[in-house]
Order: sequence, then structure tokens, then C-alpha cells
Amino acid sequence: MTNTSKYDVVIVGSGISGAIVAYQLGLAGKKVLILESGPTVPADRSGYMETFYKANAKTPESPYPPATQGAVPSSANNPLGLPNPAGENIPRYTVLQVGAWQKKDQCYFDYPSQVEGIDGTSLNANFAFASSYERLGGGTTWHWLGTCLRLFPEDFKMKTLYGQGEDWPGGDAFYQSLVPFYETAAKEIGVSGDKAAMEKLYRQFYVNPEGIYGSDYNFPMPGIDQTLQDELYAGITDMTYEGNPVYVTPTPQGRNSRPDERRQCAGNTNCIPICPIQAKYDATVTLARAEQTDNVEIRYQHVACNIRLDDKQQVCGIDYLTYDQPNGIATGSGTAVAERYVLAAHAIETPKLLLMSNKNPGFENGVANSSDQVGRNLMDHVMYLGWGLAKDPIFPYRGPLSTSGIESLRDGAFRKDRSAYRIEIGNEGWQWAADDPGTTLADFVFGQNNSQLNGNSKNQQGEELRFNPQLPAFSKLFGKQLVNTLNGVYTRQLRLGYLIEQLPDPENRVQLSTTLKDNLGLPRPHVTYRLASDYERKAFVSAKELTTELFAKVGATEYTKDPGAPVFSGKPEELTATNFQYKDDKGVTHNFRFYGAGHIVGTYRMGDNKATSVLNSRQQSWDHDNLYMVGSGVFPTIATGNPTLTIAALAFQAAGHILEDLNS
Amino acid sequence: MDIMSTFVGLSSVLTGFAQDILAPRLDTTNIKNLYLQSWTENIAQETGDANLVNTILQQYAELQAAGKSDEEIGEQLMNGNNSSAFVLACQKLIFLWYMGAWPDVNAQPGTETGGVTTSSLLSAESYTSGLVWQVMQAHPMGDSNYRYGYWAEQPPALSDYTGN
Repeated sequence: MTNTSKYDVVIVGSGISGAIVAYQLGLAGKKVLILESGPTVPADRSGYMETFYKANAKTPESPYPPATQGAVPSSANNPLGLPNPAGENIPRYTVLQVGAWQKKDQCYFDYPSQVEGIDGTSLNANFAFASSYERLGGGTTWHWLGTCLRLFPEDFKMKTLYGQGEDWPGGDAFYQSLVPFYETAAKEIGVSGDKAAMEKLYRQFYVNPEGIYGSDYNFPMPGIDQTLQDELYAGITDMTYEGNPVYVTPTPQGRNSRPDERRQCAGNTNCIPICPIQAKYDATVTLARAEQTDNVEIRYQHVACNIRLDDKQQVCGIDYLTYDQPNGIATGSGTAVAERYVLAAHAIETPKLLLMSNKNPGFENGVANSSDQVGRNLMDHVMYLGWGLAKDPIFPYRGPLSTSGIESLRDGAFRKDRSAYRIEIGNEGWQWAADDPGTTLADFVFGQNNSQLNGNSKNQQGEELRFNPQLPAFSKLFGKQLVNTLNGVYTRQLRLGYLIEQLPDPENRVQLSTTLKDNLGLPRPHVTYRLASDYERKAFVSAKELTTELFAKVGATEYTKDPGAPVFSGKPEELTATNFQYKDDKGVTHNFRFYGAGHIVGTYRMGDNKATSVLNSRQQSWDHDNLYMVGSGVFPTIATGNPTLTIAALAFQAAGHILEDLNS
Repeated sequence: MDIMSTFVGLSSVLTGFAQDILAPRLDTTNIKNLYLQSWTENIAQETGDANLVNTILQQYAELQAAGKSDEEIGEQLMNGNNSSAFVLACQKLIFLWYMGAWPDVNAQPGTETGGVTTSSLLSAESYTSGLVWQVMQAHPMGDSNYRYGYWAEQPPALSDYTGN
């Protein structure tokens, strides 16, 4: 057993929340050890870039180790060559595994089989979780988008105001306590934002601007320039939807609008999966600052696998395994010991670690789990995508991936009845929505119609979708006609993404697989994920309706494709992963497919009540005084904004609580 | 005319991009070499006709020597009396130049989509060399040489990208 008791604090995970806590504690002179399961932060990102360039599927995980595709020869059963997680020391869930969710030799998560004999609208249907994360130095911020929105006070009072979900512990008071930390977080990340635009939004939702910003406050950097697509939607000035005005807000974002310590954004249009020039913040920035305090030590390729408790129910050590090769044998083991412990391994691996730690007397269901809430209430923003073609070119595929959104619909009386959402305006054309530019190209070269531009397709309003009515269906083009057709399509592509709030559901949960292990012999996550109420599904109908209205408003033609009915039975390769149906109150049945926002939330939540939450409002375990947890797992609800700024603010707040405790 | 000049000429007619865009005078990437090799090998393997690529290049060279315009040459190659294998090989070459990836075309005539196409990238350079990023007046995703704020302005004219 390694003697490591020279540390004040051990942190598991080196993503944004672990890095922030380490940095703050290191600044205060505390000795910190970080255990990171993944490989070290590379000296430069060129190796990751090379992997990204070569990847056929440019998914969020594509640049990062271990390889996500082409790891084994392609076969009929495994066309993408997904690696077998059983042979990897630090496997993680990837977007490519969503479609392979029922294949245990390709998917890291162990899922229940689909329920037998259900119809497309069934609330009992199981789905694949649609979002992923990284296991490496700097964590998932390597592939985050950079959106830095604050949540609203209303988000913290869902139960009180609307009778849905949960309140955050303390509601309004908690929100107000978080405001200064929002400012600290924005400074750490280096947010570029337009203060006036945000104040307009805060006034709409009665967030008193004076309470949000001090009179001398401003964002660290001016707002990022808006794209031509943003300008198109900014022309909407006289529209309301369900009682709210509809208007565009430039997005505050964690990328440099000015050269500073890092480079100014050059519009590589690649924030996800990787900014080639680190103009976008990632947690390796904070990690470096933490190390520069000389009080923080990071050990990579150290996989935390068990939390030990003493006879006073305090954590007395975290066991880890080490490895050299990603597919090699374990090379060692040890126990990290300190005064206080912080789990910051994101919202899947953190509950997995707690549940694996089931050898302590009195905590056979896992550490910190007297409430039985560990791993429960797994949430994501379930996304609806709508896409279309603008009347005139707006030149997408340029600039950051998203530079503005519609935030004005994030709260209202409708929240009693259906989920709220924000709308992200995507600058990546139909890349996400239709796998372009490849789909449209293949259509016009080989005479196909997967884009709906080159056949006899109609949209749901009955409009003919053939791009050039002068051309026959299934045209095969070359030369100048191909150039002009492709240019006409690509330069007009619009995409809207709705981040729909998913309610906490105790049955949506991470457990330990009883049959599947990774290469170190650790159990893999068993994930149950459903949309078990109509609350979210109604929001999909709303999103669909509003997309059609918005495209009509800006004179665009809608190309959103009907994803077809879900397939819940048959051969594994035919099963759909995220498709469902909803029958609206007019009796119309809609087909939907949901996408993941990458927001993995809720699996070790805070609360006021020890019986129904894992952590108190100090992000401290109810069961073990010297154990804290940070990251989006602490969120009681997923709310209506992208989570990272709130994750960062909460991490700063937690660091303060840990310091108080260390110094008391 | 050597084989590479013929190949570049043919590629220009098929893609609609000027020869000096496909094969710039200072060609550090030299993607045309990779494409000629890949096209030759893949077509021979897929069709079992080791001579098809040469037949296509020869027909292009003859039409070119006869003083035909690019449009006339394109029409002859693609809509003339050539075999479906000949035409498909030309289409795959177009796709290769645009995506930097070799296509696998699964045609399903008579269906709503007419089939599906998947593809496999040749290399990191072939990804960033894809003409698809030029035809949209943008840049390869993850490889921009532009400066901050360019996205708020109209891009240069399409002709600056295609050379035509």
C-alpha cells in the first residue's frame, strides 16, 4: 500500500470540476492529489488532430484515445469497427455505440433488452442514452461546444412553481448564492459575451439585472461576432410563441474573441470535437494553473476502483489500479489517502465508483448511498433537430459551431404541462442533421435522394423538396452543374436544435452490470433510460411546430425528415435506439428521434433531504462528512441551459466549502 | 500528354474545378498522386477490368486532342455511349475528389432514396483536400486559414474557389 497521506485532498477526475477544485485548493496552499483514469494531457494536440482528420465519422469522441472506430476490421455485424470494451482498460461510451446499444461486444454500457410487445408511443420503451464523455486529462471539455449560459432562478424552483421535477436545495437563496460564482467561472473560462443582450433576456424572466451583474461587471471579453445565419433569425422581431416573445440572443461562449493567454477564435467550425488552436477553453487550462500552484499532483492512468470507509463512516482511502497500455494488464495498485475526498469523474463513472465500493459494512449498496439515489435520475437534454434551406445563401460551415440561440422560451406557464427548451442555432449546415456534406454530394453524383433534394420528396407541409425543379429526379451531375447545385445547397443550409428539459426519473439510472466487465475486471455501467412521461414528448411536438413557423418566418424551406416509426422488436441491428412516437391531443401520431446534447446530469444529486438526495447543498455526502462530489451529477434537474458554466460555478462554490472544512 | 496531365484534365472536366486548383503549381500535398493510384486500384478491383481506367483516360485524351470543350467532353464521357461501369468509375472519381474518401455505392433503383452510399477516407490530407469544402465557399472543418470574424462577412466569390 502506497503511503500518500501527505495530501490534504484526493480528487478523482481531472475534468473541469476536478481541475477547478484542485486549483482553488492549491492556491490556498493545500496539498492535492488528482487520480485520472485516462492518459496524460499531450504536449500539443497535433496527434489528436491527426486522429480526427482520419476518422470517417467525425463524432465528438473521434480525436481521442482509445480509438472509437476502425479499431477492429469492419464486418457485417460491426461495420464501424467498434472496439470491444471488454478488452479496454478505460472504455467509455461513444456516440457510435448508440446504434449498437444492444451489442455487448461493441457497446460499453450494458442495456436491458427492449420491452416485448409495446407500441411506438409506449412510455415503457427503453432507449439508448444519446450522450457521451471522455476519460482523459482535461475530461469532456475537450469536446464541449463552449456555450456559457447561466440557468434562471425559475429553473431552481420547478417543483414549487410548476409541480414538476425538483427544486434545487434552497431555491432562490441557492441561486443568489451561486451568482458570484457564475462570475468567477466566467472569468476562469474566459467567456466572450454581450452584456446588453443578456440583460434583455434577464429582464424578460424577472432576473433583476442589478442582482445578476454588479454595475461595473462585464464579460471577460466582448461577444463573438455573429454569423450571417444569426443575422437572418435576428430579423424576427414581431413573433410570440405561447406568450413569450421570440428573439435571438448572441450566446456567451468560452472561446476567445480577443487574443489573450490563448489565441483568438479563427472559426475552424470544429469546436466539437476539437478546437485545433485552443481558442476554445478546455479544462487543461485550469489543470495547468492548478499544477503551477506547486501544490497539485496529477497521476494519470490511475483508475479509482474502490472507496474505503473507516469505522466512523469516514472515507479513509481510495483504491486504484494502474496500467501502461490501454489494452494491457494492470501494472500496479495502491490506495490514495487524505483528509478529504472529492469525486469529479462525471455523471456515469462517479456513480459507478460509488456503487463498486460495496464492501464497507453498513454500505452494501455502495458508498454515500443510504438514500438509494446514487446512479438514479440520469438526465440529458433530449434534442429535437429541425433543418431547412434559406432563400438566399447564409454561408454555413463557417465560424464557431453555434454563436446564437433563442433563449426567450426557457420559462413560462407551459412548464406545468411540458418541458421548456432553448433553441441552439447551428452553424454547421446539415452536418449533424443529415450527415452532410457527404449525403448531398452522394445524392447528386450517384443519383440518390437521402437529402430529399434530388427525388420526389415532400416535406410535412406538402412542399416539393427537389432543389432544382428543372432537373429530373435522381439526377447524376458532374462538372459545372454539379458545382452550382452543391454550392446552392450547402450555402443555404439551416439547422435548429432544441434542448428539451428532461425530468428527473428515479428509474433512469446507472447500475453495475452483473455480467459485463472491462479489461481491468471492473464492472461496466448498466444503464436504463426512458422517456417515461408525456412531459418531454409534448415538447417535441411543440419544437416541431415552432420549427415550421420559424422557417416560414425567415422564408426558408423545411427539410426536417420524418425519422420513421420506432422498431422495438426483431433483429438487434434493426432495433432503433432513440426513436419514439407521440399521439397529440388532435389524434395525430408523430414520429420522433431524439439526439443527445452531451449533458449527462443528475446521478448523485444535491437536496435538502438526506432520504432523497446523495449530497447536501454544500455538495458534501450526507453519509460521509469528508466526501464531496462535483460536476453535473449534483444537479437536481437539468434545467434549460447547457450545464458547463453551472458545473464550473458549483465547483468554485464547493472548493470554498472544502476549504472551510479543512481550516475548521 | 503524360498520364498525370491526362488524369488532372479528366478530373477537372468531371469535378467542375480548374486544373490549377486540382494540381497547383506548388503542390506540396500532391493529393492527385494518391487519387490516381487509389482510383486505378479500386476500379480494377471492383470491376475486375484492369484496363477500364486506361480506357477512360484514353477517351478523355482523344476528345481533348480533338479540340472539344470541357462541356462536350463531359457529355461524351457521362451521357454518351459508354458502359455503366465506365460512367460509375467516373462518378466515383468525382466523389473521391470532393470527399477525399472512396465510396461504396449501394444503388437501390425504384426506392424513395435510390440507395445509400458510405465512404472511407484515404488519409488526413485527403480529408482536408476535399473539394466539398471549397464548393461551399468555406474551409475543411477543423482546418481554417481564415481570421477571426470572417464568418460575419460574405466569403470570396465561388469562382475564387473553383478557379472557373
